[in-house]
Amino acid sequence: MASSAAASNPTIPSLNLPPSQFARLQPHAYLLAHLSPPAASDQPSVRANGRATSQFRVTSANAGSLTHTNGSAVVRIGDTAAVCGVRAELLHTEDIASWSVSTASEAEAGNTSQKGGSKTEDEEDRDHVQDLNLLVPNISLSTGCAPGFTPGAPPSTLAQSLSHEILSLLHTTRLVKADDLRIWYQPPNLESEEFRNAGEGMDVDSEQTGGPEPEIKAFWVLYIDIMIISLAGNPFDAAWASVLAALRDTKLPKAWWDADNETVLCSDNISDAQKLSLRGLPVSSSFCTFEADAAAGWRSVVIPNADELKSQAQKQGSQQRWILADPDGYEEGLSQERVCVVVDIEDGKTVIVKMEKHGGWAVDSDDLRQLVDVSAKRWHEMKRILDQC
Amino acid sequence: MADRRRVNGPPGGTRPPVFASLQESTTGAAQRAQRQRQPAELRKIFLKTGLIPTASGSSYLEFEPSASLAAARSNPKSLIPPSSALKVACTVHGPKPLPRSAAFSPNLVLTTHVKYAPFAARKRRGHIRDASERDLGVHLETALRGAIIAERWPKSGLDITLTIIEAEDDRWWGDAPDSHDASWGMMNVLAGCITAASAAIADAHIDCLDLVSGGVAALVSDDSSKSASSVPRLMLDVDPAEHRSILSACVVAYMPARDEITEIWLKGDSSKAALEKGDVRSSHEALIDGAVDAARGANTVLSEAVTESIARSIAQA
Repeated sequence: MASSAAASNPTIPSLNLPPSQFARLQPHAYLLAHLSPPAASDQPSVRANGRATSQFRVTSANAGSLTHTNGSAVVRIGDTAAVCGVRAELLHTEDIASWSVSTASEAEAGNTSQKGGSKTEDEEDRDHVQDLNLLVPNISLSTGCAPGFTPGAPPSTLAQSLSHEILSLLHTTRLVKADDLRIWYQPPNLESEEFRNAGEGMDVDSEQTGGPEPEIKAFWVLYIDIMIISLAGNPFDAAWASVLAALRDTKLPKAWWDADNETVLCSDNISDAQKLSLRGLPVSSSFCTFEADAAAGWRSVVIPNADELKSQAQKQGSQQRWILADPDGYEEGLSQERVCVVVDIEDGKTVIVKMEKHGGWAVDSDDLRQLVDVSAKRWHEMKRILDQC
Repeated sequence: MADRRRVNGPPGGTRPPVFASLQESTTGAAQRAQRQRQPAELRKIFLKTGLIPTASGSSYLEFEPSASLAAARSNPKSLIPPSSALKVACTVHGPKPLPRSAAFSPNLVLTTHVKYAPFAARKRRGHIRDASERDLGVHLETALRGAIIAERWPKSGLDITLTIIEAEDDRWWGDAPDSHDASWGMMNVLAGCITAASAAIADAHIDCLDLVSGGVAALVSDDSSKSASSVPRLMLDVDPAEHRSILSACVVAYMPARDEITEIWLKGDSSKAALEKGDVRSSHEALIDGAVDAARGANTVLSEAVTESIARSIAQA
């Protein structure tokens, strides 16, 4: 604690170090001194980066600046920058090994689902988008974005887990509608004419079916590649925001099955292209907890759920902790517990899409409730930013 | 073999979209982009340093979009972009101690990585560096090694990473690959990489002999193939999408204060250039001189960006 005293009193010549060096030498004490200023001084409790505890960094987004993408976005959250490009490619159903098998079973399911209603449409969406891997998000951290990641090496554990988190969030939110990705083909009704010429015996059949069913000939596959250009904490929020902005920007060309060439052709006319219609706008907000005494939890034997009152009393008494919104790299290094809340607001109602908390037990249900409120506020902010870009 | 560390797409693979307008006769296709600049006029360069605070030095470089691309952006009609403009982000990490396992080195050990983003080019790129990216890395390393005073950091390493967010085309998209074809876009990318890396190195306060910048010149013949007597002309800073065929191109990494070239890369047949009368240079000399002129032009932007970087670091101190 001597160091933090010296930090507040820089006139002593023997210990005259600039704050940036204290931040490196005694990171925990440095941040603690900022968050709990001495009662005598009239300073408010702010973080070392000058933000309030529930304040997010300045966020900016810019969409559609990359030439070779169907949709692209650059999102900067403070010093963290993510570039996301969406490229659409075609997956022909003849390239899907299990297509003929799965369509047969689906037709049966489709017959039953007609009674079920709208819910089964969602299930069908999930089947196609998830089972056929129509969304392929990959995050790259080996862009020299931070010193720890060696370029050219295979993706680090963090990059792998971020890719999978984005993939699972894309699937659970069902953000992209499978219907936007399907390319249908209505086969011409050749049989009916033939039958008509052939005779009356077959007429009954063709009237019943009413011509051949439209069939799916291909799917759009969206390759969503995220390059983290600069990493200064909280990569997930930046990456997810860039995915969201890029998908909102994505335009798919009009595509049709060309029976003569037996392939799918696209129109390059921009007025034919269709924007994706996304389901909702899930916005993620990440938090971390900073504990005054990081080792307190280790020393005392706390059995969670054993004595709730006791642990609460302990929390209010000795253990002080702060929940910091949108942590930067410095704060991430000092905290164990992370919370990630993804919310969407539909008709003024907050919907929790995802809630993840790991690494500690400092955040309780009351805190989580507050964090959802903070996230809902952040949703409005992000919506404004994404609408502008 | 699927890459288990990444999210893979459908196992059967996917096909890039085929546009119907290309299948029809070429008359229906869009107009080829035309070069609007003078032969010796360079594209504007946007260069900014210090955008990535976690790195010891960083820079971002962007070429001015060509006239056709700018028109297509402001008034989009087709989904096929007429051309593209280079966008590169560069970071420098170091000097930092070499790992204990590394052999002793009395000099600064330079490593360069050039990686295209998967969405950088017209064709989707893989996640793993391919041969052309490694090649670019080697060329870039030789270009920079001549400028850095490596003796001042024994036993240290310097990592330079370049991410190509948007690359240049090798030819106009409507053209089929022909005999004159080579990866011309790569040469523009290399010139941009050299300039960007040089700015990032200066931003990281690494001692250099001079600011090294990259420039490209090329021999192009724009006439249609009907007139066989067409003579190739020398142009600086070519956008391959704007020309019918490029016969030869040259990239140099050049230090203007010392008038030294640290890297030279010449491709194609440079023997047919039509020079002005009384010009005694051989055509490949003219090509190299043109590239040096282009590098000089890039250097003015570079020195401005570095001045900005120094001013910022003084203000912070």
